[in-house]
Amino acid sequence: MTHPRKTALLFVAIGLALYAGVYYAAERQMYRTGDANPFFKIATAAEEDFDWVILGASHAMPLDFEDFNAKIERATGQRILNLAAPGAGPLYNRFVLEHFLDRRHTDNVLYVLDSFAFHSSTWNEERFADAKLLRRTPFAPALAWHLTSYSLQEGVDALAVLDYVSGFSKINNRDRFQRDVWEGEAQFDRTHRPSAAADRKRIDYLYPSPEADPAVFARYRDVFTSLLDTAERAGVRVVVVKMPVPARFHRLLPEEPAFDQAIGRLLLNRGIPIHDFSLAMDEPRFYFDTDHLNRAGVTAFLSDHLGPILRGD
Amino acid sequence: MLFTSFAFFVFLPLVLAVNAATPARWRWAWLLLASYVFYAAWEPFNLLYLGVVTVVVYGCGRGIALASSRGLRITLLVAGLAVVLGLMVAFKFYDFLIGELEQIAGIARVLPRLGVATPVGYSFYAFCAVSYLVDAYAGRLAPERHAGNVALYVAWFPKIFAGPIERATTFLPQLGSALRATPEQTVAGLQLIGWGLFKKLVIADNLAPLVDRSFSIAAYATPVDLLLSVYFFAFQIYCDFSGYTDIAIGVSLLFGISLMENFRRPYLSASTAEFWGRRWHISLGRWFRDYLYVPLGGSRIGPVRRYVNLMAVFVVSGLWHAGLGYGVGWTFLVWGALNGLYQWAGVATGPVWRRLGARLPRLAASTPLRVLRVLLTFHLIAVAWVFFRAASVGDALLILERIGSGLWRMPGLLLRYPFSVDHYLGLGLIALLVVLEILDERRSIWQRLAAAPVALRWAVYYAGIFALLVLGRWQAREFIYMQF
Repeated sequence: MTHPRKTALLFVAIGLALYAGVYYAAERQMYRTGDANPFFKIATAAEEDFDWVILGASHAMPLDFEDFNAKIERATGQRILNLAAPGAGPLYNRFVLEHFLDRRHTDNVLYVLDSFAFHSSTWNEERFADAKLLRRTPFAPALAWHLTSYSLQEGVDALAVLDYVSGFSKINNRDRFQRDVWEGEAQFDRTHRPSAAADRKRIDYLYPSPEADPAVFARYRDVFTSLLDTAERAGVRVVVVKMPVPARFHRLLPEEPAFDQAIGRLLLNRGIPIHDFSLAMDEPRFYFDTDHLNRAGVTAFLSDHLGPILRGD
Repeated sequence: MLFTSFAFFVFLPLVLAVNAATPARWRWAWLLLASYVFYAAWEPFNLLYLGVVTVVVYGCGRGIALASSRGLRITLLVAGLAVVLGLMVAFKFYDFLIGELEQIAGIARVLPRLGVATPVGYSFYAFCAVSYLVDAYAGRLAPERHAGNVALYVAWFPKIFAGPIERATTFLPQLGSALRATPEQTVAGLQLIGWGLFKKLVIADNLAPLVDRSFSIAAYATPVDLLLSVYFFAFQIYCDFSGYTDIAIGVSLLFGISLMENFRRPYLSASTAEFWGRRWHISLGRWFRDYLYVPLGGSRIGPVRRYVNLMAVFVVSGLWHAGLGYGVGWTFLVWGALNGLYQWAGVATGPVWRRLGARLPRLAASTPLRVLRVLLTFHLIAVAWVFFRAASVGDALLILERIGSGLWRMPGLLLRYPFSVDHYLGLGLIALLVVLEILDERRSIWQRLAAAPVALRWAVYYAGIFALLVLGRWQAREFIYMQF
């Protein structure tokens, strides 16, 4: 081997060794500040068995803000793990559930249903490549393999796999010294002042494609069906809920009745109960923003609606 | 395709590998194909404009070479310039001017719009095209027979988005070589790419959010916020643009093609004339000098014409910059005119400085005076940048007014200002950059590195690479000048 080539190899070798060291430090730091990421919760959960696992997008996250999960556990006598993630559609939730069932056990899944999550790849395939989620996901060879299979079979961007395996998002994490909390948690005690402009903006964000594409909906309906199959194979009972949102916000949801009808039929055929609380809590005092429950909202929702479901009353 | 994207880090090694495996006489074809792929990756339709400019440059260039009469040569030159510059003017200004006209006339939106954004990089390859045609007409360049070489000159991917505005007289002769890098060129190219990425991703993109925040709420931001943002923007735009240029020159070197130096530590200029003439965007400065200032008569015709010509150059430069990321607006015209005024002041006070230099040579050459002049020049340029960055002339004036009104309280305000980690990071990076540039001014950093022990050299390389990994903002923020 020539001298320049040896030198180049040595440079690369030292660089890789340094990279491994930085990667290890970033992983350790992630464990120090981790909190809300569903994979972090699975990896660090103290218990093996749960009564309930909660899946869904950001509407389900206030149920785990601050110490609310513990409060719900005390109020219902159930062991609960909330694995909801912001903007997570059925594909991401199925991925989370599969990984959970590989590691732990639950008797029930509470799936928090959102129509927007069935309308765009933004909330499904593209969520896997979100650096905010990747940088808080602990490394596990099984998870890397699982993600690779999603890249090959489900169209998840291969760069997400590369990012996860290389730990790039963790190394490059700007918030590496901050606790992993979703920005909504900081507003948990606020009360939202209704604003038509804010509602419109939020709807535009949740539904990036103005026109619903039946093929896209069919794709995510099938993914959701396969999530239900996964639960069924594992002997896990699924209960579906729709979280409350203000009535004025609900009116803006595009084609919501058609969505309810299609998913309702699917669940009915499988004997899965669905509890639609969409219009159950209209008062602005229950929300910290356009459509997320605040502390007062979660408290009321727990006592009036969720508690009986979790207790099996 | 951005230089900072993952796709580019796959694209570049692939192009290099295939280039190495291609017979030398066909490398131009491979590099032309790669350049078109690189450009089309941004927006395939833009290839149409690139094609039009290439055909015009080659056709008119050959026509000028073969034309038997001066009249025909002039006709071909004017026709070529009309197409290339006409498209640029139409893309940049037509919709904006129609809108302004309707607003002044108080009429609703009735006139037709083009609705076409300026194709990315058009301003840069259009200026290359203009220099080719004018040089061919003036006899400084023998128009190229090989259409592929002309196409590669216009489309060469490292420079297509944001320059340097390379001249055909220096570019085309290099296409006759093997189009492969020597080991020295490879090392220099990789060093420049690394330094360019550091300037862009670590410095410019870490400053950008702080700048964006204050400029977007100029009426509500505190004077300290605004002052910091003005300083930060001066370094953001420098690191963004010079970072791009360094990467472009570095990538080009990997193929054995040298592009001209475009930045030479501009904030160490002791006058605005030095800043614009010899240190900032050198290829554009020379372009304006050779194709506008000199043809207008430069400083040869008389003092009044000299002032007029200087202002013309800077106003046209302002117009050329319009549409760059921050929209098309009157701010660019004001920015150009303000820099023109600086030149006027420089010309007017030139004799005073020369007399001072003659009477007090030690004082004129002293370091403290030089430092003072550098600081004054930097602040003049920074004030002009406010017009470049602000959303409107009103916003720019508001920012300057608010900073000015709070200036006498600034020391106290700074002591009480809640600096964030991002502020400290930005200030630290700027300090590092300034120190390195001062060292580089005395002796090239690369020469210093080459002379350093291997352990120190490698430590610097690793520090740079890991700074990119740990601190770089890789979320594909565009280069500012790409949008001109």
